[in-house]
Amino acid sequence: MSEQEHGSTIADHLQYWTYVIDEKNPFMQIHLDTMLISILVAASLVGFSLWLGKRLTADAPSGAQNFMESVVDFINQTVRDNFPVHNPLIAPLAMTIFIFIFLVNTLDILPSYLIGNIAHLFGVTHFRPVPTNDLNLPAAMAISIFVLVLYYEFKLKPVHFIKELLFEPFANLVPKPFGYLIVPLNLVLKLVEEIAKPLSLSFRLFGNMFAGEVIFLLISFLLLGGGVVGMFFGFFVGLGWTIFHLFIGLLQAFIFMILTVVYLSIAHQPVEH
Amino acid sequence: MSIDLTFIGQIVVFLTLVFLMRKYLYGPLNDLLEGRAKKIAEGLAAADAGKEAKAVAEAEIKELLKASRARAQEIVSAAEKRAAEVSEEAVNKAREDGQNIVDAAREEVTAEIERARQGLRKEVADLAVLAAERVLGAELDAKRHAKLIDGVISQGIGRA
Repeated sequence: MSEQEHGSTIADHLQYWTYVIDEKNPFMQIHLDTMLISILVAASLVGFSLWLGKRLTADAPSGAQNFMESVVDFINQTVRDNFPVHNPLIAPLAMTIFIFIFLVNTLDILPSYLIGNIAHLFGVTHFRPVPTNDLNLPAAMAISIFVLVLYYEFKLKPVHFIKELLFEPFANLVPKPFGYLIVPLNLVLKLVEEIAKPLSLSFRLFGNMFAGEVIFLLISFLLLGGGVVGMFFGFFVGLGWTIFHLFIGLLQAFIFMILTVVYLSIAHQPVEH
Repeated sequence: MSIDLTFIGQIVVFLTLVFLMRKYLYGPLNDLLEGRAKKIAEGLAAADAGKEAKAVAEAEIKELLKASRARAQEIVSAAEKRAAEVSEEAVNKAREDGQNIVDAAREEVTAEIERARQGLRKEVADLAVLAAERVLGAELDAKRHAKLIDGVISQGIGRA
């Protein structure tokens, strides 16, 4: 059995296929499994787009085009409901986030235990098939969005944003002339508030998917390894969790998308007064 | 579970994917949807315009129908009036003609009577002369005594 060679504990299955560039610097390493799978998903998504783009018809859509049209319509509706102004970048961004995260999350239905073993046959010690289980992917997306939010804040209302940073939330704590006295306090609170956005965004997705993965592994270790009865129950519990986890994947993709739209729409909110 | 170079790689993957998706998936589909929405809106507007035009045309037709009906009524009543006039005229003319004929006949009859009276007068004069000749036994000079005879006759006729 490969169990002895590979992944005899749960923690073993939570290791990434890592290529270490610099032993001393923990930053200088790269998770090859995350990169490989996310690039594969992205490439197939682009391939699908190119394939669909060639057979788009204006009159009577069917099949894939029909489905994608309803997705685009749904995204457009969401963005329109949340946005005070029109920005042509937001809808494609939201759609990319939604579809990409959903596809990547859906990879979780692949049995990671089995895939780990298959990868092991090719000489790879650890393999994590779901890139959202790696904090790097949610963090990369969340930080990109955070930078975009900051960009729009500074581009659309620089003065107002800096004022907000320095004089809120405690605008009326001390009399007006002494407002600058509580600038440090305001700045710290506001920075925490802003930084909490990408942090919560990335950790929410990562935590959900990681926990799901851990539960899959628990099911496989505790039930499937427990004889005929364990296998019997393990099959149904695993099936139930797979269905539920699929739903969580869709939900997390949607949450990530809607929060992106909301954060960006806050940045686009016109200055009152 | 640590942040490392994968993070940078994922940012690159994500941004590239956003760019490509915008170019190849969202862009064409959105253009398509917008085009279709526009087309539908245009179609609906055209349908509305058509409906309106139809309503206008129907009103116009009603108006025209009403006008032509009135005109027809006018023409008919004018024709009736004219016909009545014509028949009246004909009757009048016939009456007049009849009167004329009657008058002419009456005149002719009067002239005939007059002529007959003249003839009679002359014959009576001749007869009177003849009778006087017979009575007197001598032939009266008809020309010389014509005045006398005429006077007697006219006296006689006047008496008669």
